Amino acid sequence: MTLGMVFLILAALALAGFFLGRGRALAVAGGDARRLHSLPSYFGWQAVLFLALPALGLTALAAFGGVLRHPATGWVALGLGVIGMGAALWNTGTEVRARNIVETCVKGLLILSSFIAIATTLGIVLSMLFETGQFFRQYQWTDFFFGTVWQPNFRGGSDLGILPLLWGTLYISVIALLVAVPIGLFAAIYMSEYAGPKFRSFAKPAIEMLAGIPTIVYGLFALITVGPMLRDYFAQPLGLGTSASSVMTAGLVMGVMIIPFVSSLSDDIINAVPQSLRDGSLGLGATQSETIRLVVLPAALPGIVGAVLLAASRAVGETMIVVLGAGAAAKLSLNPFEAMTTMTVKIVSQLTGDTDFAAPETLVAFALGLTLFVFTLGLNVLALYIVRKYREQYE
Amino acid sequence: MNVMRQTDDATATAEIKIAAKGVQVYYGDNHAIKDVDVDIADRTVTAFIGPSGCGKSTFLRCLNRMNDTIDICRVEGKITLDGEDIYDKRVDPVQLRAKVGMVFQKPNPFPKSIYDNVAYGPRIHGLARGKAELDEIVENSLRRAALWGEVKDRLNAPGTGLSGGQQQRLCIARAVATSPEVLLMDEPCSALDPIATAQVEELIDELRSRFAVVIVTHSMQQAARVSQKTAFFHLGNLVEFGETGQIFTNPRDPRTESYITGRIG
Ligand SMILES: Nc1ncnc2c1ncn2[C@@H]1O[C@H](COP(=O)(O)OP(=O)(O)OP(=O)(O)O)[C@@H](O)[C@H]1O
Ligand SMILES: [Mg+2]
Repeated sequence: MTLGMVFLILAALALAGFFLGRGRALAVAGGDARRLHSLPSYFGWQAVLFLALPALGLTALAAFGGVLRHPATGWVALGLGVIGMGAALWNTGTEVRARNIVETCVKGLLILSSFIAIATTLGIVLSMLFETGQFFRQYQWTDFFFGTVWQPNFRGGSDLGILPLLWGTLYISVIALLVAVPIGLFAAIYMSEYAGPKFRSFAKPAIEMLAGIPTIVYGLFALITVGPMLRDYFAQPLGLGTSASSVMTAGLVMGVMIIPFVSSLSDDIINAVPQSLRDGSLGLGATQSETIRLVVLPAALPGIVGAVLLAASRAVGETMIVVLGAGAAAKLSLNPFEAMTTMTVKIVSQLTGDTDFAAPETLVAFALGLTLFVFTLGLNVLALYIVRKYREQYE
Repeated sequence: MNVMRQTDDATATAEIKIAAKGVQVYYGDNHAIKDVDVDIADRTVTAFIGPSGCGKSTFLRCLNRMNDTIDICRVEGKITLDGEDIYDKRVDPVQLRAKVGMVFQKPNPFPKSIYDNVAYGPRIHGLARGKAELDEIVENSLRRAALWGEVKDRLNAPGTGLSGGQQQRLCIARAVATSPEVLLMDEPCSALDPIATAQVEELIDELRSRFAVVIVTHSMQQAARVSQKTAFFHLGNLVEFGETGQIFTNPRDPRTESYITGRIG
């Protein structure tokens, strides 16, 4: 019996089980639902759950055990389900607390879901840790963390120093934040404190749309428009280089991309500052701008910092804009009009093409990935901590 | 109602600080204040009483143009401060609010230190020349709000960390520090215990020596204790306005009498 068949039969049984369970409960109560502890439909759900949980649980176990395709699996699953449903139907009476049973099962389901999310994160970290361990067995960790040259060579003898990549990542992210934080914050202040509801209802989604544009489109924009423009109007006249791909290009475009992260969160946070504080300040004869500067922003500051950190972790992890905007040359340079690259880009380039998963040139991608993960995790934790601390203030 | 106080002879001669004539307030289509005339005398405590929703807060907020911050709110009529129309185009509402201070129903200290809360007004209006003078203003204001003793050792602690009653006194100190000419208080004691209430009432009585004070209250005893003049509002109308003693002992309007004896409201 195929798996699809099993699921179809289970669905049909579930439908029947629901009505059977409900009908039996009503019959036991002599047609008067008030005599039951739980509403009749709870008995129906009880039957469904008792059918589905053992059957699906067994299927999942079989999948992990590698016997999913075994013909007996389907029959055993169905058998277990039917036994469960029988137990549920037997477990019907005026004193039976079907409602509590169903709710316990639902709670279990909720716990399972959150556990799956956590387990996935853990799994990712563990697999990264494992591969990174492999890498460091073949490559000196001091050379990785303190090496200033990035020169992978698939014939061996590569230099895999992270510093040029780390520098590129930070340089581009800082430029992006220098663009996004003032613009995002000022837009948020305008929208939450000055703009009328009409403008707000139009402008807020419009700004948030920036976040919905695929990053590859931003990358194209950087490659075709921003890069050549910066080169022709700034880099060449200033004698700073002739490259269209540059840290500046990627930073500017990435800055535009993360504006909505700053503005949208800041806007929510500024709106959460109680009106009574503004009234208090205005009532003392402060102007609106004094009120914003001296009361609203300081009150919202921790939350705004949190928003900026979230935007920063977004910038650090960005890949597409960098490939197309800043190029792929790992370099340690101060000139913002020079091509540089970031950790994410190098992760991609080390894993594409002919790869040998035992060579340090490939495994280094995992070490880079793990470093990046730890970095953004740190930023996120810090951001969440700050935002949460801020929330407690008004409660 | 047996808590009565003698009206001050001084009030009879006090000059008029704020005069309101034919004031109408609309929230959209809701006519919240209907043709109200009130004269607020200087160096006098004027109490606004009336059932919930009758427009006391609304009228109070007209006196320092706080209603300007509500989009749908429209004010008509004439309100003068020292003879000058406060709704005139040439008047800057921000400057007006420095002269007419306000204490709100719910304590709303800024999330700053106690010191910075009190120093807020003096700083933005440049009232102090130097740190020593500012320190003095802060200390005096806190003393007048009967809070100095409790906070003098922790002026740098956040104002939001104080108890509700202390917060309200901090807000009073903050308003006093700006040295307004009129102080509007919207149910300043609704969050306070009897002891703090007594302290605030004492403070109000003391403030009277310098400012005109307008207080909204739901407590008839409080109105009788602290005020010299009382205005009774009902459904947006000013029903009766007069000496506090007369309003409580010998109301002219039957609605006033029903309210103070607890039959409406
Ligand atoms: N911001 C507002 N927007 C719309 N209507 C309002 C607003 N504030 C007050 N109102 C309306 O104006 C009327 C008077 O309200 P106001 O707050 O002045 O009453 P109040 O006498 O202060 O009552 P309370 O004693 O409960 O504080 C009410 O009908 C109220 O619904
Ligand atoms: Mg009110």
